[in-house]
Amino acid sequence: MSVLEVDNLTKTFGGLVAVDDFSLEVDEGEIVGLIGPNGSGKSTVFNCIMGLYDVTDGEIRFNGVDITSDSTHQIVAKGLSRVSQESNPIDLYSVSENIRLFTLPNSIRSLHGGASDEEIREYAARIDIEDKLHEMPSELPHADVRRLEIAKSLATEPELMLLDEPFAGMNQAEIGELAAQIERFREDGMTMVVVDHNMGGLMELVDRVVVLNNGDFLAAGTPAEIAADDAVQEAYLAGEGLQ
Amino acid sequence: MISTILLLGTVCSTVTGRLGRVAGTLRRQVLWPVGRTLERLLAPIDRVLDPVADGYNRSLGPYFGEMSGLQFGVIAVSVAGLLTAGYWAPMVGPLLGGGLLRTLALASIWAIFAMSWDIQSGYTGYISFGHSALSGAAGYTTALLIVHVDPTLSIWVTGSVSVLAALVVGLLIALPTLRLEGPYFSLITFVAVLLFYRLTTAFSSLGGIPGFGQPDVFTWDPMLRYYYMAIPMLLIALALTFMARSNLGMILIAIRENEPAVSAAGLNPTKFKLWSFMLSSVPMGIGGVLLVGFTGNVDPSTFVVVDNSIEMIAIAVIGGMSSILGPLGGAFLFEVLNHQVLHGYSTPVRYLFLWLIVLFVLVFARDGLFRAIWHRLGAVRGESE
Repeated sequence: MSVLEVDNLTKTFGGLVAVDDFSLEVDEGEIVGLIGPNGSGKSTVFNCIMGLYDVTDGEIRFNGVDITSDSTHQIVAKGLSRVSQESNPIDLYSVSENIRLFTLPNSIRSLHGGASDEEIREYAARIDIEDKLHEMPSELPHADVRRLEIAKSLATEPELMLLDEPFAGMNQAEIGELAAQIERFREDGMTMVVVDHNMGGLMELVDRVVVLNNGDFLAAGTPAEIAADDAVQEAYLAGEGLQ
Repeated sequence: MISTILLLGTVCSTVTGRLGRVAGTLRRQVLWPVGRTLERLLAPIDRVLDPVADGYNRSLGPYFGEMSGLQFGVIAVSVAGLLTAGYWAPMVGPLLGGGLLRTLALASIWAIFAMSWDIQSGYTGYISFGHSALSGAAGYTTALLIVHVDPTLSIWVTGSVSVLAALVVGLLIALPTLRLEGPYFSLITFVAVLLFYRLTTAFSSLGGIPGFGQPDVFTWDPMLRYYYMAIPMLLIALALTFMARSNLGMILIAIRENEPAVSAAGLNPTKFKLWSFMLSSVPMGIGGVLLVGFTGNVDPSTFVVVDNSIEMIAIAVIGGMSSILGPLGGAFLFEVLNHQVLHGYSTPVRYLFLWLIVLFVLVFARDGLFRAIWHRLGAVRGESE
């Protein structure tokens, strides 16, 4: 069953067509890679799904429910969560408090609700930062700040997680570690869409790859099929090449 | 022309460089040794008070914030001082130019305004330049009820309707503006208070420039008057501190620091911003009603004029924004300086001095004086908060 359905999504900014009639379906338990050269519209697709941009045309459904015009917080409440490309923890709050913020109920009456210390530790442990809970984000190395972003996302108890360039700025060892952790999320039943501009970190991880180029659907298939696809090779020729 | 600018630039950089060195020397030679001596003197008191503070931390700490022994002591002494001021202020007052109880009563009202401003602007970062429109709405409602409806109405009736009026005006400002980003919110609150000011001065049915003299003061007894202002102030401080130390405060600060992250956490920022504005409007209304009872007069320059809005911000800045208790302390510092310490000078000179202090705090102690003191008190025995 499809968890996420993006139907004929179009997003224009003034005269610029950022995403053109793009469709995507994600099944339960899948890890789908969404790749494309820089500027191909991958993050725009994520921003449309998460309600950060108004969709110009098309429809987005989550578990069969239309979420095209929902606000971000409503979409998160329905079980979709995004780990954004930029790390933006709240520097005034410790790692633990940053995670706690993502567990608070969306209610002005809930003055003392939210996750317990034990629950926060569990979210952190799923991405191996449970020993950093009392540190401030500014004290963390880059890879741990990225992990904090994932822990925050986990704390909203998502069914489907959108990961926007999770491997950016990480070294090979860190990429391997993170890929293994993402693999564990799948074993726990999480569905994921991972955006990256190259396939380096994705090859082993994803079940299926969808390629975007200039806002258009270019190709879809298993990682091996995509790696061998001529059209994809060509799209990447101007860029850094398919790795 | 260019050479003049270059020359000015060189002069400025030399002067600021030298000022920086002087400040550095001052810090090393004077402030640090003084601080260390104070810490040595205060550490034993901190240790003695620790068991009491621990008891508080276990029972009420989760609701009002945890404190070290010394912090607990300072709060206890301050509250006791405020509650007994009716008795000691008349004795101490003459040393400070007299009229201390009046100043403390006025400071209580301004503390309400500054704390109310803080829970909305200080916490969410959506800076309002128009908060005096809220207290003004309450003051004018009281006056209009007394003048046009029934002069014998009880304070409970006029007061409740006036607080409601402040809430309605607050919603009128907040509903259309809190979705806006960047400077628009601030600009609209600014225009709102200018508009309200012109409205009150333009129509004689709204009192015009002289305003309304009919509302009576609560009492002429200075001691009673002080308690009429101080008790509501302490209750509001308690309520707002409770709110600020709850999830609500955490979310409001997160809105200030990173609003998209709040949405990503599944929280509706607009709803919380609106709630903070309502939470701010109600005590602003109460403060407005108290100000009527203090002055007995409702006029544009006492209630509405934009300077009042700016003064609330100044007080909050001096004390330390987004801390509730900082603005409370700021109000007492500001009013005691204004009406006691500087009472011999003319109003323009006093304000010149007060604005210089605000500037000084903004440049050298951006987090506010009382927050800085509070953190030092929490760390006299080495451990930082």
